[in-house]
Amino acid sequence: MLQTDEVLSTIRMLHAEHLDVRAVTLALNINDCASANIDQMCKKVHHKILSRAHRLVEVCDEVGGKYGIPVTNKRIAISPAAILLAGHTPSAAIKLAQTLDQAAEECRVDFVGGFSALVQKGISAGAQTVIDALPEVLASTKRVCSSINAASRKAGINMDALHRLGHIIPQIANADSANHGFAAAKLVVFANIPDDNPFMAGAYMGMGEPEAAINIGVSGPGVVDSALKRRIAAARESGKKLTLSDLAEEIKISSFRVTRVGELIGREVAERLETAFGIVDLSLAPTPTVGDSIGEIIKTLGIEKVGAPGSTAAIAMLNDAVKKGGLFASSSVGGLSGAFIPVSEDATLADAVNCGHLVLEKLEAMTSVCSVGLDMVLIPGDTPPATIAAIMADEMAIGVINNKTTATRLVPIPGGKAGDRVNFGGLFGASPVLEIRNIEASTQFVHFGGRIPAPLQSLGN
Amino acid sequence: MKHGYVLNVMSNDRPGIVAGVSAAIASLDGNIESCSQTVLNGYFTLIMTFSLPEAWKIDDLRDTILRSKGLDDCQAMIQSMADVAPPAETSQQDVFVITASGPDCKSIVASFSSYLAGKEINILDLYGDLTPEGDFVLISQVAVQQNLDIQKLQFDLEELGQDLGFTVRLQHNNIFVATNQLRLYR
Repeated sequence: MLQTDEVLSTIRMLHAEHLDVRAVTLALNINDCASANIDQMCKKVHHKILSRAHRLVEVCDEVGGKYGIPVTNKRIAISPAAILLAGHTPSAAIKLAQTLDQAAEECRVDFVGGFSALVQKGISAGAQTVIDALPEVLASTKRVCSSINAASRKAGINMDALHRLGHIIPQIANADSANHGFAAAKLVVFANIPDDNPFMAGAYMGMGEPEAAINIGVSGPGVVDSALKRRIAAARESGKKLTLSDLAEEIKISSFRVTRVGELIGREVAERLETAFGIVDLSLAPTPTVGDSIGEIIKTLGIEKVGAPGSTAAIAMLNDAVKKGGLFASSSVGGLSGAFIPVSEDATLADAVNCGHLVLEKLEAMTSVCSVGLDMVLIPGDTPPATIAAIMADEMAIGVINNKTTATRLVPIPGGKAGDRVNFGGLFGASPVLEIRNIEASTQFVHFGGRIPAPLQSLGN
Repeated sequence: MKHGYVLNVMSNDRPGIVAGVSAAIASLDGNIESCSQTVLNGYFTLIMTFSLPEAWKIDDLRDTILRSKGLDDCQAMIQSMADVAPPAETSQQDVFVITASGPDCKSIVASFSSYLAGKEINILDLYGDLTPEGDFVLISQVAVQQNLDIQKLQFDLEELGQDLGFTVRLQHNNIFVATNQLRLYR
């Protein structure tokens, strides 16, 4: 028998606090589409995606309707394009990307991820083709997303790859200058890339995964923030002392409930599509909507200005409590599973940058205890490639040394200077361009190139 | 041979009603098989099924139970289980929850229940109450035939609610189980 207060609290969570399932991603292995003839390969890829994903949107809407929960984004993630593109030219890569874009449009999904390459130890011919094609691919397609894994715990950090990407990223942005360089937001550079991440732009299907799988990304910053605010207000009213342990417990409970929603929807979508159920990603993913913000949670936890001392500790507590609640709710947790701090996509974080409270270095510190890295960080368009590579190397080092996933999604704004405000619209939000200090002071370090060796696996202090 | 009965007791709420009813049944060597009680605005209602070793006349049984200590001001109704229709087949049904909230009005329960009755949708559980703000909140678990179009039901109920200024939602029961209980499904 359901309790009345349980029904009402679920209704409040779903409707007043706008809980949704942020992403249902169909991961699909397309390695069997390989062919020496690019037209043949594109035909096979198109057929495979359509045959497996043509009902994805319809089924997500049906299941979402049954439970009264919207599935905001439906997406496809493929096995790394670099494998298919071995032995092909960049022009073939562009054809493949256009095919992916077309197939995604026909399936009515908003993004297809996996135009990807793993280069943590070295750059293969296929990976080189992917990287070289990125400016045209990302600027000329609407839905194709890319990820490059440039570092790992076991391989170290490929500085040659980062240096190359330091040149490529501004080229991507400049190729899409009409949209303030937005195309660069469709590329994520990773350390320790997860094989089953449902979130874009970094979703791809890794090795060792099944032929196809449904991976789920939940949302919920608004739900967590509302629960904390209610708890704090109740304590004030009763005069009862509230500690951070109590607040961590409240986050755990909210996370449990949010994760359950994802698990329920994911399993049913997978069953209806006759596809394996993969994972629920516990990441709290903010949107520019007011109240749907990780920054707001940090403020609710008592940090008046996001970026002030204590911000890293607050987000560490949030991240840990979310995982503890989510892990009990689901036996299939995976992906990134951490609180995201994408600057332009989180109105409170963007505002903190605007007010000068949050700077690049503090953001970097925060990413050492949460997911996923320097995400949706707008940088001046004239930032030198070596400096971009060095920013990425710092972020990769945090991931490699701490045995976690980190990433960068840097958008050099063509013609943009620190402080300029850029609005990408929709879920991608708006943010000022961040100031990069000590530009060109790391050039020699980057120019050494090679690989930063894999770290020690013990004596981990 | 066992003889089954269903008993309904109503009274102003106070301590001792359940004690009185259960003592009366025990004194007849009876066994309580299921029971449920609710108190609304200070008024107590109990429904109970029980079995007795001997068959009783309904009026005699009711009078005997009400003579038990502490049940003087109670009203009771008894029926033989032999006259109760067996529960409906539920394998082709899904349990959904309807929630409705809005400004209190006289016809709200009648509107929804007559719509549901017209679709042969059985109400399994029903709760309604006024909030401190004066809104009426209605929560109902209903059994929906699997061949019914859920989207159409949702649309109709929302439209019905709009006419009365109510926000109405129809959602599968499992979302409430998943978000509140330790198991994912019931």
